[in-house]
Amino acid sequence: MPVRKIVIQKPALTPFNVVAGIIVVVGLIITVIRFTQGLRATTNLSDYNPWGIWIGFDLLVGVALAAGGYVTSAACYIFGLKRFHSAVRPAILTGFLGYALVVLALHYDVGRPWRLPYPFIVQQGTTSLLFEVAACVALYLTVLFIEFTPAALEWLGLKRARSIVVKLTLVLTIFGVVLSTLHQSSLGALFLIAPSKLHPLWYSPYLALYFFVSSIVAGLSMVIFEGSLAHKHFHDKMDAEHLREADGVALGFAKAASWVLAGYFIIKVIGIAQTNAWGYLGTGYGLWFLVEMLGFVLLPCYFYAIGAREKNLKIIRRTAVWTVLGIVVNRFNVGLIAFNYHLPSSERYFPHWMEIGISVFVITIGILAYKFIVTHMPILYAHPDYDAH
Amino acid sequence: MGNTINTLHDFMLRTESLTYIMIVVALCGFIFFWRFLSERDDDRDHLGADRTGEHHH
Repeated sequence: MPVRKIVIQKPALTPFNVVAGIIVVVGLIITVIRFTQGLRATTNLSDYNPWGIWIGFDLLVGVALAAGGYVTSAACYIFGLKRFHSAVRPAILTGFLGYALVVLALHYDVGRPWRLPYPFIVQQGTTSLLFEVAACVALYLTVLFIEFTPAALEWLGLKRARSIVVKLTLVLTIFGVVLSTLHQSSLGALFLIAPSKLHPLWYSPYLALYFFVSSIVAGLSMVIFEGSLAHKHFHDKMDAEHLREADGVALGFAKAASWVLAGYFIIKVIGIAQTNAWGYLGTGYGLWFLVEMLGFVLLPCYFYAIGAREKNLKIIRRTAVWTVLGIVVNRFNVGLIAFNYHLPSSERYFPHWMEIGISVFVITIGILAYKFIVTHMPILYAHPDYDAH
Repeated sequence: MGNTINTLHDFMLRTESLTYIMIVVALCGFIFFWRFLSERDDDRDHLGADRTGEHHH
């Protein structure tokens, strides 16, 4: 039966487009200043604080929140939970865009960005965790790009190329999980080199484990969060399978997130016991640590559990937003707030407005790219000419 | 066990003892937590997957 398409012309000057346009223009101006006048003109970075929000937010948070790709594809293709299949493409897309934007943001942060390929072609430095992170992020971005291509190839009508890529799905998924495990944990392990700079409540020999486990929670929460946004704004793009499975994805992921958060809370407390850092809990930093642990770990763990038990999607979706915020708080704490905690306040880092501007610019680019791809490519619906893979 | 830590042995004894107790408590607690999470999942198996043949036609 032929399907009749009704095209409704939407006005170009919507509030979203106007705000996004202003952000992009301002972002481009700051970009010119950054690459013509250097880091000093656009950042508050110093020898004490060489990593600011372009690392603490754009990279650490970006990589964690892009974990939905490996979490969802592993659940579907490795653990065989096919009822999550409809969530794979949106999650892969978010992951791909997330990593692409991490690499974009890195170009702003690194003093001489044209040297980013140096670890691979000039000096390997294989004993450095940063080499491992660089290698994994580069390889995983490639993997995500290939995993994303079936949607683009379907859109372009390249059936033969699409059938070749689809055959690689399982291999790519396994490769993606391995690479994610490595670099998600290595980002935490980076801070092991500075035990005296990171506050004892956040420093732990288990930092690598913390980053990896929390990335799973971040990935699960982002898939729920992004699913609810897609449901609200791209409802017309979703086919029957996506609409039918959306609630099941949220319920299943909420249950998993609750379980992983409980485990994360336990290993964090064990970390305190291992370093005997209990005495710090009574300090100002201790209070902030408790806010993070109770407010952004235990509370979402409880509400995810209640939401999954009661099958209450409203609770689950709100908890997902709160958990994503919790991941931001955690990465900010490790990368910025609890880092260099011993320095006097005059030497502490606070981001320059242009740093914040570039971070907002990068997020806006991501939202615009997501909107374009979801509007044009078969992400939230299965293309009628192709079998599901 | 006293409150003062004088030697590495004291430190290890305190931290490891506490850690082992917490691990045992956590593992026992996880059983109850899993039951709390799953007891209303009548139509799913223990891994959360749909049981085949019951609801699909």
